[in-house]
Amino acid sequence: MKLLSQFSISLQRRFGRQRLRKTLLGSVPFLVLISIWHANTIFGWLPPVFVPTIGEVWDAIFFLQEDCPGFMPLIKLDNDCMMTTHVLSSLGRVILAAVVGLPAGIALGILAGMSRPISKFLEPVGVFANSISGIAWIPLAIVWFGVGWVTTLFIMLNTIFWLMFFNSMLGVRSIAKVYEDSVLTMGGSRWDVIRQVYLPGAMPSIITGMRMSMGFGWRALIAAEMIGGDSGLGFMIFTSAAEFKIEEVFLGVIIMALIFMATDRYLLVPLEKWTVERWGLVWKPA
Amino acid sequence: MQPRSKLEKFIWSLQQLMKIDAMNLVILVIVTLIGWSIISESIDNPGRYLPSPVAVALSSVDMLVKGLLPSYFSDTLVRLIVGSAIGLVAGIPFGLILGLNRTVADMFHPMLNFFQSVSGIAIFPIIVIWYGNSDTTVLIVIVYTSFFPIAFNVLSGVREIPLRYINAARTLGASRYQVTKDVLFPGAMPHIATGTRLSIGFAWRAVIAGEMLAGRQGLGWMIFTGQDSDKTTEIILGMVMIGFTWIILDHYLLRPLEESTIERWGLVQR
Repeated sequence: MKLLSQFSISLQRRFGRQRLRKTLLGSVPFLVLISIWHANTIFGWLPPVFVPTIGEVWDAIFFLQEDCPGFMPLIKLDNDCMMTTHVLSSLGRVILAAVVGLPAGIALGILAGMSRPISKFLEPVGVFANSISGIAWIPLAIVWFGVGWVTTLFIMLNTIFWLMFFNSMLGVRSIAKVYEDSVLTMGGSRWDVIRQVYLPGAMPSIITGMRMSMGFGWRALIAAEMIGGDSGLGFMIFTSAAEFKIEEVFLGVIIMALIFMATDRYLLVPLEKWTVERWGLVWKPA
Repeated sequence: MQPRSKLEKFIWSLQQLMKIDAMNLVILVIVTLIGWSIISESIDNPGRYLPSPVAVALSSVDMLVKGLLPSYFSDTLVRLIVGSAIGLVAGIPFGLILGLNRTVADMFHPMLNFFQSVSGIAIFPIIVIWYGNSDTTVLIVIVYTSFFPIAFNVLSGVREIPLRYINAARTLGASRYQVTKDVLFPGAMPHIATGTRLSIGFAWRAVIAGEMLAGRQGLGWMIFTGQDSDKTTEIILGMVMIGFTWIILDHYLLRPLEESTIERWGLVQR
């Protein structure tokens, strides 16, 4: 008993009482859900065609990886390594779209926001593009690029780019003109204004846009892979559903959620927090 | 002139809006149409890749006469309204009830976050296996997509209310019901508004994708079959309609709702 309490105290010291409590409490519903899932297989409330057993879902990983001939084909996205190929090609598209789309959107957004008349002019463009961005582009993208990775990448880029463009433009526009004028008065160049005023001033808006664009982009990517793709997690779960391999569908959905939560929690949320702390409390003259 | 009644105020703000934006908008639309026509003229086989605006307009007239466009449009809109209404009506009380108790709230917060990250489109294949390619499938996907963002947001909102407000109400002898009604609900109001907008935004995209995947008649289906049957005019027409519908929904309904809610309830001193 004493050992147990000592152990618990050391755990609390190591991880922090509040965090430990939150983690433990947070895991309860998941445990309950998993037990209900397991109970379902034991008692057979829903037939296994509809809800697979936990073991089947676990085995599906190895089943999908079965024909994989080794490590090098795995990296090269060989079609025999189904599992890793689909996960990596989805991830690759997300990263590629983020690397290309985020900077492009931010840069053009700031450029558009620099001149107030132009940004006012471009605002309806941003509103309209954001309203149809993502899923509604899929059929046209298929007509233009055919079924394949170009279509999926195009959808993701489209979603990310317009959200970033719009958000950074609005961010720049919301900066009070006083800052800009004061930098210019003190002899700063146009470039100084961009670096010292526009970029930091628009930062909170940019980061919010980043988080939003990854959320919307990831969803759009899944849909695009289902409808117009030939690889990726969305493609995997859609084809598995067509063959009634429900365990592969469950596996794909769980992996998707884990990837998304991990990026959101360990990348985007800390980034947002840091930015708001660092740049967010800009004094705004009335 | 200071506007007096609410109606006058509304008309006045509308006029202000028109004054600033109308001219810009007209120029923008004309420039876009001209650019679009030039591109359409300069490529091979414009009927397949990028039909001219005139062709799109003609096809819209054709579909209007046949009565297809209004029927698709109303199908999609009904689906969105029914689905997101069910999701919101279930999600708001769900989040509030979970938020009543801090322990319960901490317990369910990660789970709601998890299901919020699993987008409705991702669970679509599962629902298809359960219910087939039916209207039920699309409806379930929409309800799912609108339920979790709102529930998650409401729960976050309730959790963020400073404890001293709840304690103050309790000290003054408020019952549990009164605390819910007078502290938790108004305190979570801005989050409810934000969550509603987010929910309906996700639901709108889910409707379009669901119609494409399940093959149910509607705007999403229209643009999807347009791609199959080589009617690119219909695709572009559908996209424009999807865009305009969302703009109208978002700018004239959801955003004013959110803004007025935040204005009314949001200035809680922390």
